[in-house]
Amino acid sequence: MIAAFVRAIFFTPPEALQGFAQKIFYVHVPSAWIAFLAFGLTAFAGAYWLFLKDPRLDRFAESSAEVGVVFTTGVLVTGPLWGKPIWGIWWVWDARLTSTLFLWFLFLGYLVLRSAVDDRDARARYSAVVAMLGALLIPFIHLSVYLFRTQHPMPVVANPTGVQMPMVMVKTLLLSLGAFTLVYIALVRARMQLATERDALLDRATSEA
Amino acid sequence: MPDNAIYYYVAYAAIAVLLGGYALSIGVRRRTVAQQRDAAERGAVERGA
Repeated sequence: MIAAFVRAIFFTPPEALQGFAQKIFYVHVPSAWIAFLAFGLTAFAGAYWLFLKDPRLDRFAESSAEVGVVFTTGVLVTGPLWGKPIWGIWWVWDARLTSTLFLWFLFLGYLVLRSAVDDRDARARYSAVVAMLGALLIPFIHLSVYLFRTQHPMPVVANPTGVQMPMVMVKTLLLSLGAFTLVYIALVRARMQLATERDALLDRATSEA
Repeated sequence: MPDNAIYYYVAYAAIAVLLGGYALSIGVRRRTVAQQRDAAERGAVERGA
């Protein structure tokens, strides 16, 4: 992560029209990709739990959703920090921004739901359904810039007509994406260990009662 | 070229604080669970004694 920050700050030139604010791109876009990955995997883990009933899948879903909310918060913080100098406004209620905010609220609700249900099987079942429905927003958010007239820029890397930025910037973006992915894996692993230790403690308390 | 570097400094700092703070929160919660487990083990030993 430090290497990605150093490369973005010191070894990647600023964009000619947007200036230094364009460098927000190297943390905003990877945060968004990881948020989508996290919520997508939450939904997959939830769906598999419905078939296998393996508690590890539920713990992974819980962990991935929580980490996804953190990365989505990063998207919602860094986006306006780019919008203010480039658009002149912090926020606009266009399809991409509004649906991303809705996704953040939805998975915040997912975490609240989990904390409100004590029975483990019921909690895993309800949250799996919410995660699967919530994940349906992800392709909508990705396609929203094509489906609606939005203020948000079109994709410059995952663009059907090809990559539309210099290779030095693409390399920095890919390094940053790799770093964010490793941070996601590390955070989910640590959060899963916490969930495992917490469940073991609850099992012990239940067996002693 | 516009001089708007302050916005990206703030954005990078925000990401570092967000991810660092979250990692710290996991560490604090794990320590709390470990303390509760230790207390439960001590309680079990005292009840057994």
